[in-house]
Amino acid sequence: MDLVESLRKAWVVTGLTLRYLMGTRRGIAIAVLAAVPLLLTVGLALARVDSFGIQLFQILLIPLFFQLVLIFVALVNASTLIRDEIEDNTLPYLLTRPISKPALIFYKYVAYLASALVLLVPPIVLAYGVTELHTGSPFSADLDVLWGFLLTTILGSAAYGAVFLFVSVLVRRPLFVGLFLGFLWESIVGQIPGDVRKLSVIHYLKSILKDTISVTPLSIYSTDVSAAISVVVLVGFSIAMVVLSILVFQQMEFKSKA
Amino acid sequence: MTGIVDAVGVSKWYGEVLGLNAFTASFGRGITGLVGPNGAGKSTLFKLLIGQLHADQGGVRLLGENPWNNVALMRRLGYCPEHNQMYGWLTGQQFVETLLRLDGMSSADARKAATEALKVVGLSAAAQRLTRTYSRGMRQRTKLAQALAHKPEVLILDEPLSGADPMARVKILRTISEFAEAGGHVLMSTHVLYEIERITNNIVLIHNGKAIASGDIHAIRALIDTHPHAVRLDTPRPRQLAQALARMDHVVSFEFPSAEELLVRTRKPDAFYRELPGIVADTKLEVRGIESPDDSLDAVFRYLVG
Repeated sequence: MDLVESLRKAWVVTGLTLRYLMGTRRGIAIAVLAAVPLLLTVGLALARVDSFGIQLFQILLIPLFFQLVLIFVALVNASTLIRDEIEDNTLPYLLTRPISKPALIFYKYVAYLASALVLLVPPIVLAYGVTELHTGSPFSADLDVLWGFLLTTILGSAAYGAVFLFVSVLVRRPLFVGLFLGFLWESIVGQIPGDVRKLSVIHYLKSILKDTISVTPLSIYSTDVSAAISVVVLVGFSIAMVVLSILVFQQMEFKSKA
Repeated sequence: MTGIVDAVGVSKWYGEVLGLNAFTASFGRGITGLVGPNGAGKSTLFKLLIGQLHADQGGVRLLGENPWNNVALMRRLGYCPEHNQMYGWLTGQQFVETLLRLDGMSSADARKAATEALKVVGLSAAAQRLTRTYSRGMRQRTKLAQALAHKPEVLILDEPLSGADPMARVKILRTISEFAEAGGHVLMSTHVLYEIERITNNIVLIHNGKAIASGDIHAIRALIDTHPHAVRLDTPRPRQLAQALARMDHVVSFEFPSAEELLVRTRKPDAFYRELPGIVADTKLEVRGIESPDDSLDAVFRYLVG
């Protein structure tokens, strides 16, 4: 009975959150941004760019997708999970129901992850398909590239979403801190050689891509972290951030906005 | 103390601002009104009772339990917040139904209970409309519906009449009374004494974060009647409404703060609130909302606390 009730609550919270993240005008704007990789590849194919193939696909999309689109989608969607409920004064409706704060955070994070993957995965798969179609290759010709991109999209969404969720329960203006972390920190630290770059998510994403794709521009990327270790680090980091968010949220007090 | 609510020496600071100041009171069964001007500490006390704040000193107990992070207690509680925001992209039916499913109800049970609760508050006809299209009175009634739909033991209502139109007020007060008659307990805050007087004699007066009096309402009525009471009416035809209200001999003055507002001062607020729905219905003048600026109550409180 408790399990059934918990599943019902999980379904309601994730459904409510997904509807907010994807059913509003802001959700449509985010979907357009998430479609940029697809639009770019379609543009290249229509323009009949000679050099357009799986190599150019990677050269363009590794910075564009992983360092811009993915971070932006994660930032906007994850930082609103709790903060918008607080700012909009809707949180009391949820917190005066028999649902624990840890469960609420967890279900909302699951909803975020679902929304991020729904927004990010189809454009990447379609962009890959357009690239292979343009070069006349079968869809399965470079599946290592597709799997590498999908794995890093899932892990990147989980890690960035978790850190932005944590920021959103810590500060009142999570977008500013998120922009700093997502675009400044990740770009700068990710470029510094040596162990410092291990403090960025993008380093582990690139390490996975380098390890899983046979022919990639990242072959010259300097890393001593294997794909397996990177997966463990990113999963562990995501879990740690969600747990920290729960701990902070459980001690938070909520005053109404005027 | 073993009341529905027991607060002992509760203090709550917001930085350097004191929200509650050694507040001590016990709220009994039935309906209790928490009356005080804006900023008196009513909402702070309610937020402590629903577990959204915790006390810096002292403690509160609701139904004998500490509310802070008390998930099980939420099942016994219905809460109607002061603000009017809701998930505007949900219909009234979906809004109530969604919250009921967080109580663990099945979809079918939640749908049935939501339909019933919206009927009780008189919103059946608008149940399928998005809540962002609702008037303030309709929002108040929707909030009340979600608070009582799961049949809680205690209702905590933060200014449930604020901004509601005359018909909505009647409906809300009737619903609260029926809930109490069926054995439920109600804590209701207001800065308008005359609203609470229609459904209970049992009040707690709060001012500057302290409980300054509690018990029977009639003891302070005489004091309050000496201060003209202000009522602000939201209407598209304020001058015509003023003409209609001028027949009330207890009305002292009219002001027109804006093109769609009428401010009335009356010596007999209870009579004013009683007669207003009839006059509005007779003249067919639209009154979209009623608010009572708390300056008159504030004057009484300043008198009471010296």
